[in-house]
Amino acid sequence: MLQRSSSVKHIHITNAAISSVIQLGDSKIINGLNRAIAVQREKQLFIGDEEDFSKYPIFQRPIIFPQDKEDVMITSFHQNPMIHVNTINVIAFSSSSILHVGNTQAINMEARIKHIRQLLPKKN
Amino acid sequence: MNFQVYNRDIHVGDIRVVGVSSSSILMVGDAEIIQLASAFDTPAESLIIGPFVPLAVEGR
Repeated sequence: MLQRSSSVKHIHITNAAISSVIQLGDSKIINGLNRAIAVQREKQLFIGDEEDFSKYPIFQRPIIFPQDKEDVMITSFHQNPMIHVNTINVIAFSSSSILHVGNTQAINMEARIKHIRQLLPKKN
Repeated sequence: MNFQVYNRDIHVGDIRVVGVSSSSILMVGDAEIIQLASAFDTPAESLIIGPFVPLAVEGR
């Protein structure tokens, strides 16, 4: 099947961090994984070496996707074989996120975040 | 099921995004399969009020 092409005139990105990818051109398989333990403390304190993904069930628990109930025969007709975009302007990419210009076959992305807040005891 | 798609003209002006994060994707193009999963855990027990000690092992 003939593919569509993407045309982007300008791309402006300020920041791409923590395993982010800017992919210009076709790809086949994209697998992204982001795991984070986000600790917020009322007072600034960095203990370090206390984080362990295996301590928290959220990082182990399997993610079950709904099964395809029916086979779908997709036929697409590209009456205009181009996708035009004038400008893409993004301030920040972070945590295994992707900007992809072009075609791909399969994308599989996963994010698991454990949020913990620590507050100081109340003063009476 | 038969699913027919007719791709006509796409002309986009400006795409302005502040942030893309946590295994998200911004894509200009076609994909056959896109599968995204996100697990976010902020239970009540995760709010700890007390003296700051290293995080303890969490039971289920």
